[in-house]
Amino acid sequence: MTHNHPHDHTPIVQEEKPGYYEILEISVRELMIEKGRITADDIRKQIELLDSRSPVLGQQLVVRAWTDADFKKRLLENGNAAAEEMDITIYDDTAFTVLEDTPQLHHMIVCTLCSCYPRAVLGLPPDWYKSKQYRSRAVKEPRSVLAEFGTIIPDEIRIIINDSTANQRYMVLPLRPEGTEDFTKEELEKLVTRDTMIGVTIPKII
Amino acid sequence: MVKTIEHEPAKFKEGEIISVIEKFPIGHYRTPTYVRGKQGIISRNLGKYINPETEAFGKNAGSKMWYYMVRFVQKDLWDNYVGQETDELEIEIFENWLEAIN
Amino acid sequence: MSTEIMVKKLPNDIGGTGCSDDKIEIYERNLYPWEKRCHALLDVLDYYKIVNTEEKRRGTENIGAEMVAKLTYYEKWIVSASNCLLQKGILSPDDIAVKTKEVAKRYDVKL
Repeated sequence: MTHNHPHDHTPIVQEEKPGYYEILEISVRELMIEKGRITADDIRKQIELLDSRSPVLGQQLVVRAWTDADFKKRLLENGNAAAEEMDITIYDDTAFTVLEDTPQLHHMIVCTLCSCYPRAVLGLPPDWYKSKQYRSRAVKEPRSVLAEFGTIIPDEIRIIINDSTANQRYMVLPLRPEGTEDFTKEELEKLVTRDTMIGVTIPKII
Repeated sequence: MVKTIEHEPAKFKEGEIISVIEKFPIGHYRTPTYVRGKQGIISRNLGKYINPETEAFGKNAGSKMWYYMVRFVQKDLWDNYVGQETDELEIEIFENWLEAIN
Repeated sequence: MSTEIMVKKLPNDIGGTGCSDDKIEIYERNLYPWEKRCHALLDVLDYYKIVNTEEKRRGTENIGAEMVAKLTYYEKWIVSASNCLLQKGILSPDDIAVKTKEVAKRYDVKL
């Protein structure tokens, strides 16, 4: 993957001393627990829930849709119920909506106003998805944004970009690449990266 | 006697052409400036949900408002849109932001 | 010069305002532990409807354009949570002042 920034953003070791905002976070959390409004267990359980969600879940949904036409139909009709079939509970009461790519149509998702994202099936979004640059450009110039991810969608293919503003949470169901008819489930899963489910890249056989 | 609350029926139908009202709330809104005053088509009725404008001020329950998936042609939204004539954008918009085209 | 646009247009209402000069910084990182705790805190506050998600969003917008630009994503979340809790009278300014001083002392940090 291309990194077009000069320094590594991954914190290797967190600074020993908390900064102001961490102090504020600790303070608000402890105050709310002291006042009996929430419990430490609530927080712990929610962190566990967040940690349990990653693009692996979305991958599983996509691959099942690729290999099971009836499931795909149910996934497109009611994402929440279909996810539940695979023990993936959409825990935040949002309407999980799957957008199907076809040979004539490519989807992309964005939340221009904040960072709405299908966290229940993809985990937490990358910084770029929440960035001013992505949010301010994706709706107006999707093809230019796609090019920054190395993705060129041919002119004949229509692009629809979905801007989340309310209760829908979108995931792209990318097109299954040609030449994968004999792929195993594991081989298919490898093609479905997180970025293909946001729609900024398409599955590629390497 | 228990009073049933009759919700208003949805004002707009799938396939209907609408316009997004140009108006300026203060405090909170979820209808971005870039769609206001533009014409689009209702692609789906999404049901009813609490209006986020009042939800943002603490209203957690009570009467809900219809909202819709609205589809726009990109070249109608942006001057000098760079892309295909057929590219589109879809966005969820609440009923209080939509009006029928005469 | 008219200032009304600052009242009428929220600082997060940025769809379509960017151009190709605004290069997207594409990288991966793990959340700092405090960021993950912050995310969990806001989820829990929403679950109990103490501060709902839309209130949290409003709180990340109404801090004004300068703060929206300068604070990171989760910094805005915790400031929003604090302000919402203050507005509802669940926390007082002094609650926050006293507690942050205590926590800072615990970590030997000067506020």
